[in-house]
Amino acid sequence: MNPNRTRLPGVLGSVASALGVFFSAFSTHDYALHLDRQLHSTHCSFVPGLSDATAGANACTAAMYSPYSALLRERFWGGIPISLFALGAYAFFLAASVYLLTAGNAASRRAWQGFGLAALTPLVASGVMFFLSLTRLGAFCKLCVGLYVASLLLAVAGLSALRKAGGSPVAADATLIDPALAAPQVPAGYPQPAYAVPPQPSTLEDLGLIPTGSPLVIPALLAALGAFALGPALIYAAALPDYTPYLTGCGKLPEPNDKNHALVKVTGTRPKEQALLLVDPLCPTCKNLHERLVSEDIFEKLDAQVAIFPLDNACNWMLDRPLHPGACELAKAFLCGEPAGKARLVLDWSYANQEELAALGKAGKDQLRAKIRGRFPELDSCIDAKETKARLDKVLHFAVDNKIQISTPQLFLGSSYNRVCDEDTDLGLRYTLGIMAPHLEQP
Amino acid sequence: MKHALPLGLLAGAVSLGSALGFVHSEVRAASKRLAEPARKDPALQAAVADHTEAPYCTPQFKAVLQRVINACGLGGQESRRGCQPADVKTLASISDDDFNALFTPLAQRGAILLFDDASEKLDEGAKKLLAERWEDRRGARYFFVVARASRTGAADMNRALSHKRANSVEIFLQDHYKSQDPEIDKKLGMLWLGKEFAQLSKGYCTDWTHSRPGKPCNDEAINRSAFISWVDCRL
Repeated sequence: MNPNRTRLPGVLGSVASALGVFFSAFSTHDYALHLDRQLHSTHCSFVPGLSDATAGANACTAAMYSPYSALLRERFWGGIPISLFALGAYAFFLAASVYLLTAGNAASRRAWQGFGLAALTPLVASGVMFFLSLTRLGAFCKLCVGLYVASLLLAVAGLSALRKAGGSPVAADATLIDPALAAPQVPAGYPQPAYAVPPQPSTLEDLGLIPTGSPLVIPALLAALGAFALGPALIYAAALPDYTPYLTGCGKLPEPNDKNHALVKVTGTRPKEQALLLVDPLCPTCKNLHERLVSEDIFEKLDAQVAIFPLDNACNWMLDRPLHPGACELAKAFLCGEPAGKARLVLDWSYANQEELAALGKAGKDQLRAKIRGRFPELDSCIDAKETKARLDKVLHFAVDNKIQISTPQLFLGSSYNRVCDEDTDLGLRYTLGIMAPHLEQP
Repeated sequence: MKHALPLGLLAGAVSLGSALGFVHSEVRAASKRLAEPARKDPALQAAVADHTEAPYCTPQFKAVLQRVINACGLGGQESRRGCQPADVKTLASISDDDFNALFTPLAQRGAILLFDDASEKLDEGAKKLLAERWEDRRGARYFFVVARASRTGAADMNRALSHKRANSVEIFLQDHYKSQDPEIDKKLGMLWLGKEFAQLSKGYCTDWTHSRPGKPCNDEAINRSAFISWVDCRL
């Protein structure tokens, strides 16, 4: 057998596994950094060790905050990141590849088959994640792409191993080697004959033959893969700190009653828990929270009141400059949408078109108004009405009466309107809601 | 190679051990940071929602405002509503002109409601102007009403008339806005001044928006009035 062909699965497997370990370790590192409930940069690069971590929004941060980046989020703060399974799995494949590389033909056929089958599993996982990135996230994080490449290389190594196991002559044991083929033995002290026959193969490896091996090897290898993949996740879960003391330290609304009827009711289809959301239609973090609440099937379970809180000094006296110019216009459109039951629609539309609306808001009020008018012509006159302005003032006074921080988004839950800390509104959201509002865990 | 299996097992132990050690150290480090968070820069803390603080809210203005609020029932649970002329004189501890000057920055924000001689009845113009000003609250905390009576007539009668004018404003607001705003009482600060303190000069006829534009306005007319304004100051 061609020795290069013998080594190919091991070499390729080692390279792929090293790549997989590299990218999954960086991904795990970025995820674990956030376990302190603070914001951190993420490594979003094909060469993560060589380039600086990226602050702010990027595809890797988006992937990390997405519901697909971790399991059991309702049970552990932040959940169990799936990169841990990749890390364990690639550690297994690295060891297995080293074994195959060094064992060569001494490795049994079952071992090659087991490796080959196991090496295809990361590609399946990558395929699922690729699909989710494409269809749900609309972006590909570079660390994830690194893992896709690693899984593809590993799959090639696996297929190569399967081909080797299936295509070579197989001997059950060494006794099947024909003794006649063995080289004639020259007694000690005698010279080698001049016609010396070339050295004959004396082992299965020399013959290019592979021992079949025990049928238990394949399930044993798959079980070992499972154990390796689970190991880091188990250690991770065991080492996680207790977050419960941190969850309820962000206060509550002292005056939650909306005495002036200024807030807007946005009740989900299956309301189970009272909530109050303080949001700005042009605030990207509000959009992210909204999308998270929707994608995790929480929004429909909220009996929510929305205090629209534009961070725009055109209507909000608490700011000396506009953080989100144009937010006042959208806030008024939101208030105007309530009587016709369109408030949620206005908010969803504002979030869905946030980038464009923010740009129009910066360009000038008229352009933004034209855009709103184009989508909601029936609200146009209401937006300019003095009653709408007065109502928006009342919403802002609600914030004053409750001594709310000038910051969006803010989420208050339950009949006591306990505030969900900002630090728990992303990775820890599911876990936090499970503690603060257990009703939301019901279907 | 006969050492392949031990080598493979060793590689497995090393790679798995390294992965577990790495994961454990990462989580432990985060736990430590969680328990001992870095101190946040107070300057980066989000401010708390509050009422407007306009530039005219000078310490002197606020001192008068605070005294009036404390003494005239707004600051506590006292049943008393409003301040009499004698109170204001004592509380403000400033001259008439200085007292009036405090309110000069409110010329655009506020307005003056004019009344007929010896009357406390709000006419349509006054009602319209009062409603406009009340509804343009923005971030203000208190709505001030400073009623006056002209110098003509007896001091007692003028005091009573001034009081009635202030009450007319309050009654109008209660009638029209109580259902929307059940806490009008906590926002409304009223003073009623007789002829003995802080009479307005004729200049207020032109410098301020009043409820009878185009009609004759003089020293007498401008003091048959109620000054109204939201006050954009925090206390």
